[in-house]
Amino acid sequence: MNINRFLNIKSLEQPAHSAALAVFRLIFGFMLLGGVVRFWLKGWIEELYIQPKHFFHYYGFEWIPHLGNGTYILFLICGISAFCFAIGLFYRLSAVLLFLSFTYIELLDKTNYLNHYYFVTLVLLLMIGLPAHVNLSVDSMLKPTLQKRFIPAWTVWSIQLMLGIVYFYAGLAKLNSDWLVEAMPLRLWLPAKNDLPILGPLLNEVWVAYLFSWFGAFYDLTVPYFLLYRPTRPYAFVAVVVFHVATSVLFPIGLFPYIMILSAVIFFDDKDIDTIAMKCKNYFTILPVSTGSDMFTFAPKWRSSLLSIFVVFFVIQLLLPWRYLLLPGELFWTEEGYRFSWRVMLMEKTGYAQFVVKDAETGKTIGVNNNEFLTRNQEKMMATQPDFLLQYAQILYTHYQKMGIKDPQVYATVYVGMNGRRSRLYVDSTVNLAKEKDLFRHKTWIIDYKDKIYGL
Amino acid sequence: MTKNKVMMNMKMLLLIPVAAILTTIGCKKDDNNNNNNNNISFDRGALLTNYADNYILPAYEDMSTKLTELKTKIDAFVASPDVTKLTAARSAWQTAYITWQAVDLLEFGPEASISLRSYFNTYPVTISKLDANISSGSYDLEQFGNKDAQGFPALDYMLNGIGSTDDIIVGYYTTDAQATGRKQYLQELAAKMLSKITEVKTAWSTYRSTYISSTGTDAGSSMSLTTNAFVLYYERYLRSGKIGLPAGAMTGVAAPTLTEAYYTPALSKELAVAAMNAVKNFYNGMGYSNNIDGMGFHDYLTAIGTKDETGKAMATVISENFTTATSSLATFPATIKTGVTNNRPQILEIYQQLQSIVPLLKVDMVSAFGISITYTDNDGD
Repeated sequence: MNINRFLNIKSLEQPAHSAALAVFRLIFGFMLLGGVVRFWLKGWIEELYIQPKHFFHYYGFEWIPHLGNGTYILFLICGISAFCFAIGLFYRLSAVLLFLSFTYIELLDKTNYLNHYYFVTLVLLLMIGLPAHVNLSVDSMLKPTLQKRFIPAWTVWSIQLMLGIVYFYAGLAKLNSDWLVEAMPLRLWLPAKNDLPILGPLLNEVWVAYLFSWFGAFYDLTVPYFLLYRPTRPYAFVAVVVFHVATSVLFPIGLFPYIMILSAVIFFDDKDIDTIAMKCKNYFTILPVSTGSDMFTFAPKWRSSLLSIFVVFFVIQLLLPWRYLLLPGELFWTEEGYRFSWRVMLMEKTGYAQFVVKDAETGKTIGVNNNEFLTRNQEKMMATQPDFLLQYAQILYTHYQKMGIKDPQVYATVYVGMNGRRSRLYVDSTVNLAKEKDLFRHKTWIIDYKDKIYGL
Repeated sequence: MTKNKVMMNMKMLLLIPVAAILTTIGCKKDDNNNNNNNNISFDRGALLTNYADNYILPAYEDMSTKLTELKTKIDAFVASPDVTKLTAARSAWQTAYITWQAVDLLEFGPEASISLRSYFNTYPVTISKLDANISSGSYDLEQFGNKDAQGFPALDYMLNGIGSTDDIIVGYYTTDAQATGRKQYLQELAAKMLSKITEVKTAWSTYRSTYISSTGTDAGSSMSLTTNAFVLYYERYLRSGKIGLPAGAMTGVAAPTLTEAYYTPALSKELAVAAMNAVKNFYNGMGYSNNIDGMGFHDYLTAIGTKDETGKAMATVISENFTTATSSLATFPATIKTGVTNNRPQILEIYQQLQSIVPLLKVDMVSAFGISITYTDNDGD
C-alpha cells in the first residue's frame, strides 16, 4: 500500500470489502457502550457532571445547557445509541444520536477533556457518512437489499487516515528537547511505578526512561506505515498491543489503550476480514454477512458533497495542531493551541493557584478557598491552564458580585511546575483577571517562560 | 509505502537504542551523585516502613502517654482543687499540646475517619457552648457540634482563661455554683482525648501492615495519602491556621482571637515552632524520638533528582526553606497574639516565608513524586 493511493482519485472508488468497516463499527460501538457503562458504574456521571457547582465551557459553547440529573438520560441515550450503532440497527439515526450525545457530554466541562474522547468524537462524525451498515448489521437483515459485500475503498481509508493522523501527530509532538534529551516526563513517571512485579526495578533506571521516550516517539511516528504495509503488519499489530498494554499498566489513562488497540483493526486487510466473516457464516448461518459481489455506491451528488466535507475535515485536522505557531510563547507553558493536537501524555504539569478577591470601594480582601467552588479535578486543571484561570475569575466575579461587592477585582498567585523544573510564578498577580478576555490571541498576563524547550 | 522507505525505517529502528544509549551516557554526569543508593532511595516500601515504625507509631504512643499524664493531673486537680494541682495540670496540658504538634500532620489512614484534629484542636473555643454544656450537664462530645467546645483549646480556657488569677481560677472549681459540673466537664475533656488517641493507636496496630505494603503511587496508595495529608496540614493548619488567619494575611486585618492557645499567649509561638520542626523532621524522615535519620520525602525526592535552575536539588531547596522559616518564627520577638498587631511587618514576612514553601510542596514535590493532589480517581491523558 502506498501513500499515493490516498491521492489517486480513481483508486478512491476501488472496491474494498465492506466487512472491514462493519467490524470496525461493531468494535467501536461496543467499546463506547462499555465506556458508558464504566462511567456509570464508577459513579462518574454524578461526580463529574452533577455534583460540581460550576463547569468550564469550551470557547463558543457557553450556551450548552447543563442537565442536572437529566445527565443520566443523556448517558442512557449515548449508551443505547452506541448499542444500536454497534449492531447496525437504524444505523444513520444511531450514528447521529451517538455523535450528538457523546459530543454533548464532552462539551459539558472541558475539565474532562481527553485526547481520546476527542478522537472518538471525530471518528463518529466520519462514521455518520460512511456505509458501515451494509454488512454484519441488523439493518441489512431487515432489508436484505442493503447487503453489499463491497464499498468504495476511500471509506475505509478515511478511518485509517484519522488514526494515522493521531499517531503521527502524537509522534511529532514528542520531537522536543524535554522528551528526547531530558527523558521528561517519563523520568518522573516511571519511578512512580517501580513497585510493579519484574519490570519495577528497571523503571528506576534513567536509561529506561530514555529508551521509553525514544521508542515512544519512533513508534508513534512510524506505526501507521507499518500497519499499512502488509509484510510488517502482524509485527506492527503486536507492537500496538504491547505498547498500549504497557501504557495502561504504567499510566492512569482509562480506556485509551483499548480504543487504540481495537481501532487498529481497521488496518487489517479488508479481504482477510471478509474471509473470516464468511467462515463465521458457515458456522452461524443466521449471521447477516453480505455475500455476492454487489458494491455500495453513493448517489453522485452525495458522493461529491461527502468527499468535499471529508477533504475539508482532513485539511482542518492536518492544520489545527500547528495553530500554536501563530502565537508567541512556549506552547507547553501557555497551552495556547495545545488541545485538539494529539499531545498525549506529553508533559508533567502541576499548578497551585491562590485567588484573592478585592473590593475596590472598601479595600477589603478575601482569600478564596478553591474547594468551595471547584472539585479537586477542576482545581487541578484550572491551576495550569490560562483559559481555565480566566473562567474561574469570572465565576468568582459573579459570585462576589452577588455577595454585595459592586465590582470585585480578582487576582491570582499561581505557581506552575513543568517537567521537573522548579515551579515558577505563572501569571502577573497584579492583573485583575475578571477584566481579561479569553480570545484567540496571546494572553499577555502570562509570565514568559524563561527556559527554552527546543523542537516542534 | 515503498520497500525502500520501510528499509530506511528499519535502519532507524536500529539507530534508536544506540542514540538513546549515547544520550544517556551524555547525561550521566549529573545523575552520578544519586546513583550509589538509587535502589534504596527509590524504595517506597522502605520509606513507608520508616514512617510507620520510627515516626507514626512512636508519635501516637507518646501522645497517648502525654494524654494519660494529663488525665492523671486533671483527675488529681478535680479531686482536691488547689493552685499547685492547677499548675501541674497546666504543665501536663502544655506538654501534651506541644506533643500534639508532631502528631497533627498524620491525619490519614485510620485518622481519616477519626480525625483527632477536629476533637483535639478546633479553635477558637466557643465559650458560650462550653458553658451551656457545663450548666446543662447533658452533652455528647462525639457530636460534630461540640468540636469547638473540647480539646486543647477548651482546656486552655478552663485551665488558663477562665479567671485572671490562679486563685480565681481555682474558685471556679471550688466555690462557684457550677463547680461540680465544671469539674466533671474538665475530666470528660481529658478522658475524651485519651479515648480518641487510644482508638487511633489500636487502629494503627492493625493498619500498619496495610500501610507499608501499599507501595504504589495511585490515589489510594500510602505514599499519596501520607503526602496529601502532609501538604494539606502544612498549608491549611500550619501556614494558615497558626499564622495566616490570626495575622489576616489574606484579609489585611489582624484577628488575634484566632490565635492558637489564645489564653496562654506565651505558648502560641512555641506551638508554631514545634509544628515547623515536626514538619521538617517528618520531611527528612527523622525518627520521632530516636533521632535516626531514616528514609523520608527528602530522600525520595533526592533520588528522583529534580533540580532548580541553578542545579541545586529541589530536596535541598525545600529543606533550606523549612529551616529559614523556622528560625524566623523562633526569633519572632513577640507572642503571636500581640505580634499580629504590633509586629505586623515581621509576622507578614514570616507568613511569606511559610507561603513560599506551599508551591514547593504542592507543585514541585508532589509532581516529582508522580502523585497528584487529588482524591478523585479519574483518567488522565
